Amino acid sequence: MKLKQLLWASALLSVSFACSDSNDEKPLGKYNNGILIMNEGNFGTNDGEVYHLNPNTEELLPNIFEAENLRPFAGLLEDMVLEADRLYLVANTGKVEIVNPADFKSSGAVSGELDQPRSLAVNGSKLFISDYGPYDASYATPDSYVAVVNGLDGGTVSKKIEVSNKPEDLFSYGNYIIVAGSEENKIEIIDATQEAVITTLDLEASPKQFYAEDGILWVYAVTADEVLFYTVNLSSLTLGTTYSVPVANATSRIAFDGDDDMYILTSSGWPDYNDAVVSIDIEGTTATATELMTGSGFYGIGFDDDLDQIYVANSNGFQGNGTVSVLTETGSVIRSFEVGRGPSGFLVY
Amino acid sequence: MFLLLWAFSFGASSLIQDTVKLAEVEVYAPALDRFAQGQKVISWKKAELEAYQGRSLGDILQEQSPVFVRQYGAGMIASPSFRGTSAGHTAVFWNGLPINSPSLGQSDLSILPISAIDQVSLQFGNAGALFGNEAIGGSIHLGTNSEFGKGFQAGLSQQIGSFGLFNTNLFAGLSSKNFSTKTKVYREFSKNNFPYKDLGQIGTPEVREDHAQFEQIGIVQDLAWNLNSNNQLKTAFWWNKTNREVQPVMGSNTNDEQEDQAFRAVIDIFHFEKKSVWNLRTGFVRNEQLFNASQNNSTQYFLAGDWDQEISDKWTSKLGARYTLTKGDLSTYQADDERIELYQSTRFSVTEKLSFTLNLRQLVYSGTFAPFTPSLGMDWSFWNTNSQSLQLKTSLGKGFKVPTLNDRFWNPGGNPDLLPEESLSGELGLTWNKEGKVNWTQGLTYYKMSVDNWIIWLPKGSFWTPENIKEVSNQGIEYQGSLDGTIATWKWELTTSYTFSKAITTVGTDENDQSVGKQLPYTPKHQANATVQLRKSGFSSSIGTFFVGERSVTADNPRMMPSFQLFNFGLGYDKLSLGKHQFPLSFQINNILNTDYQVLYLRAMPGRSYQLNLSILL
Repeated sequence: MKLKQLLWASALLSVSFACSDSNDEKPLGKYNNGILIMNEGNFGTNDGEVYHLNPNTEELLPNIFEAENLRPFAGLLEDMVLEADRLYLVANTGKVEIVNPADFKSSGAVSGELDQPRSLAVNGSKLFISDYGPYDASYATPDSYVAVVNGLDGGTVSKKIEVSNKPEDLFSYGNYIIVAGSEENKIEIIDATQEAVITTLDLEASPKQFYAEDGILWVYAVTADEVLFYTVNLSSLTLGTTYSVPVANATSRIAFDGDDDMYILTSSGWPDYNDAVVSIDIEGTTATATELMTGSGFYGIGFDDDLDQIYVANSNGFQGNGTVSVLTETGSVIRSFEVGRGPSGFLVY
Repeated sequence: MFLLLWAFSFGASSLIQDTVKLAEVEVYAPALDRFAQGQKVISWKKAELEAYQGRSLGDILQEQSPVFVRQYGAGMIASPSFRGTSAGHTAVFWNGLPINSPSLGQSDLSILPISAIDQVSLQFGNAGALFGNEAIGGSIHLGTNSEFGKGFQAGLSQQIGSFGLFNTNLFAGLSSKNFSTKTKVYREFSKNNFPYKDLGQIGTPEVREDHAQFEQIGIVQDLAWNLNSNNQLKTAFWWNKTNREVQPVMGSNTNDEQEDQAFRAVIDIFHFEKKSVWNLRTGFVRNEQLFNASQNNSTQYFLAGDWDQEISDKWTSKLGARYTLTKGDLSTYQADDERIELYQSTRFSVTEKLSFTLNLRQLVYSGTFAPFTPSLGMDWSFWNTNSQSLQLKTSLGKGFKVPTLNDRFWNPGGNPDLLPEESLSGELGLTWNKEGKVNWTQGLTYYKMSVDNWIIWLPKGSFWTPENIKEVSNQGIEYQGSLDGTIATWKWELTTSYTFSKAITTVGTDENDQSVGKQLPYTPKHQANATVQLRKSGFSSSIGTFFVGERSVTADNPRMMPSFQLFNFGLGYDKLSLGKHQFPLSFQINNILNTDYQVLYLRAMPGRSYQLNLSILL
């Protein structure tokens, strides 16, 4: 049970910004457009998988990794990072699988030297992979690192850069990799050439997720009773404005709608176990929170910018497959459907 | 039944001791099926267990019984599923003591080595009244035996096999007319570095398992002593320690290690009167489990007594009570639990061919009443000729499972308000026997049961907590047959079994639960096994096969695991001797066809393996 609890804490996906500045022509393929649904899988079963949804026709293709590669994904899927013509599937069970996003055919992997990878960023011809490192005897992770791989199609880890405990999301900018150090409330900045941490920014909250818009890097961070948004000035690598909203029990799961709205999941935990979808609106210097939906078992959230729809995943207790509910921006349920085990995030592209 | 009659004659025979032959004086063991009328019971004796030396209880159950064993890898956790129920629905006894872990409510069959056991019996179906807590799907009864009047006996056996298998067993026994001691010492080791196709890696290369080493050592000490003509003292002690590298699921690179240590001791005093036997029993079971650095220990103390009497030719009765004190010292909590249970069994034998039993039990744990469990059974041999007979067995009964210590006290998440699981089941079995040139035994059993308040752990917020949510309904058919005969000077025997099991969730966790109406996870609908044996003057050979049907990974059944069938082969010669010393030899091939299979999703299992057994009996 203990490990399961640990797995609860996690990052979402490095959604839209990964492609924000690329205008590359995408090759047309079966999975080229639509929404990829990330199903983490169950601890000890390694049945993580990806489903593909066409939001217009509502056609859902299950287990597309296994369908295209004739082998199971065999891992717990923690993150999906789309970078140009490669999709990186990060498994916290110790590997990164690389597929062509158009047809989902396997094109490479990083394995062997990873422990509990969480996310990935591409810088030049290098991959940077945040990794909790191995658990010690008391399930702490004092040896967290960011692994470096030379080559965009995977291979072996050439270096492990020591960072603060439990690094989550990564963001690549210029020659830098920016690391969300979730346990020690730090932002660490790695020089991608030197492969070393050059600057550390201290936060008042645990950073979970980055989001870049209009040259500003937003950092989503949480405490027990507050949600904080920091901005990072990318040219000076210093902290800018901080917005705080009194939202209790925020999880790491967040989706950005491309404007100034974001949707997060909260969970009260014991003894009431109330989960909620909360929308946060930042106007000027103030941020306001509105509860859109309550329930139990919420495990992932996404936003489809084209149709202005919110996707909420429910793990259904990991007893079997999860479900996804599609909501309007005001929180009314449009439809629900079954997906894979432990649905935890969405990649809309 | 035999043993019981036996015990009575033991009691009686003491009066005329001079005429009694030593060999007839056995150590008393109450027969398992004495009050189990109407229930299916199968047993293996020492000789039949011989072929499984160096292997675990899980292996014999999987290969030779209708029980499905959920194996997490080679030598890894193996848990039984009787009639579609879960691992926690099987009570396990050793010399009459319940040995399921009180914190987990189940046993790992991989660390119950056959080497330490002299007999195994399986009872199927609800037996809450007869055996108490956790006997919902069935129960497993392990025993050690001692014998009087055998003098000095000793032996050494050594096994060498594939993937670093190296097992050593030593035993020595000394017995006189009234005193018997037997000691067994064993060490079982396997590197388990078997090759398998790694589905978790790009290109699915064949790799060798490098983290599944298994080492187990243990001592079993049995002692029996006829204190006087009508009192017998019997004790048994078993220490077993297993160190395992926990085989990772494919796609993971975990380096978990687990050490399990168990100390079990039991003292029985039997007092024989003319028509009754008094038994006073005290026992101790301590489990220590170290998973990486997480230590989970529990200790149980037992004090029990019963009185088994033959009231008349027709009426037999047993009345008993047991007190259990459990002390749990787990990594996240400490908790004590006290249990008292009273039980009563009555058998009414209308004729030799027709008998009924009524069993009753009430258990109270930590001041809470567990469901009262009655059961009724009947055995009726209704058609008999010189060479043939037909027997009908039918029973109806209740069973229960008290929430485990972890269910109630695990921090965080433990739920002290959980109710016990409760089950109701009935079965109807018909057995046909025919003796002749070829002996036939063919049996068919139909069973139906339901389990309410089924406890499952669900993630709620940031941790998991157990709740009484599900309801499950099981029904199925078990076929068991054996044929034996002689061709020329060869003796042959064919045993077969087939099980159909439908285990359906009837009430799920909530309205989203897709499992309602579907087969429980890892519960094959079809399972079968067959063994052919040939024997001639010390030489024996056997081919066995077992088939496990498709089963789902989760309760809502979207992902099915393919069925598999494995074949094993054995060859033995036990007439090699030098003077008084014997040197039995045997050779085994497991998974002859090198079939690639998984019992549980992405848990690699070994292909073909060889095992050579050499023994010296002094």
